[in-house]
Amino acid sequence: MTLTDPREALADQSDFIGYLVGLAGVARMVHTLAADGDRRAEGPRDADDFVHVLLGLASIGAAIERFANSAMAQQNPTAETPTPAAPITRWLR
Amino acid sequence: MSPEVLIGMLAELERIRELTLDLVEQQAPRLVPAPPDEAGGTEQTVFDLLLGARRAVLGNPAAARGLHDLLVAEGHRYANTPRGARLRDGLVASEAVENLRRVWEMVSLNVLDGPAAPNAAPDAWADLLADAVIGHGLDDSILARLRPEGFA
Repeated sequence: MTLTDPREALADQSDFIGYLVGLAGVARMVHTLAADGDRRAEGPRDADDFVHVLLGLASIGAAIERFANSAMAQQNPTAETPTPAAPITRWLR
Repeated sequence: MSPEVLIGMLAELERIRELTLDLVEQQAPRLVPAPPDEAGGTEQTVFDLLLGARRAVLGNPAAARGLHDLLVAEGHRYANTPRGARLRDGLVASEAVENLRRVWEMVSLNVLDGPAAPNAAPDAWADLLADAVIGHGLDDSILARLRPEGFA
């Protein structure tokens, strides 16, 4: 299988959603770290690159959760009037 | 040169890169610590995860540095928002973050920090590997006597 020979429903086998869920999980872990009850004895330190990497992960996780929430909000109004299930064919291209 | 040949060359270069990394690890066994004795399932899994993270960083320094810089830039942007600023204040005061920082420094050996040319491996990466490979075989007990106290 190559880019010039796409297979039907390849996207259904993709782990892309798994990546997003994993990133959202890491972002939640960052929030858990920030909410940790044990405070540094020396007091807060300056925010260095390591802290900003954690913040970057949290930001990406927040964006992913926003995507998921907006998608669910769009789906909910139609949930009461379900349409007949149509076969969905997804293609790589 | 046809695209097929170029792609084949890229695949071969990737294979050579992996084999070179294997050789570096053989020359510098300190980069690949022995697995813990009688490790349970969870401990072994964590060890494998940390070792995999180290190999990913040491084996792909330019890509790892690029991702690191991307996350740092996004972190700075997020810290300028009210939610991000609250999170930053929580992180800088957290003891758990300090523990995680020690784990990360131990795993990455700090090769992603410091100066780096754009899209290139950081200088610290080359320094570390040179130290680990060239220093292997030297009698460190003699060198240690010449090293002033506190000198890394």
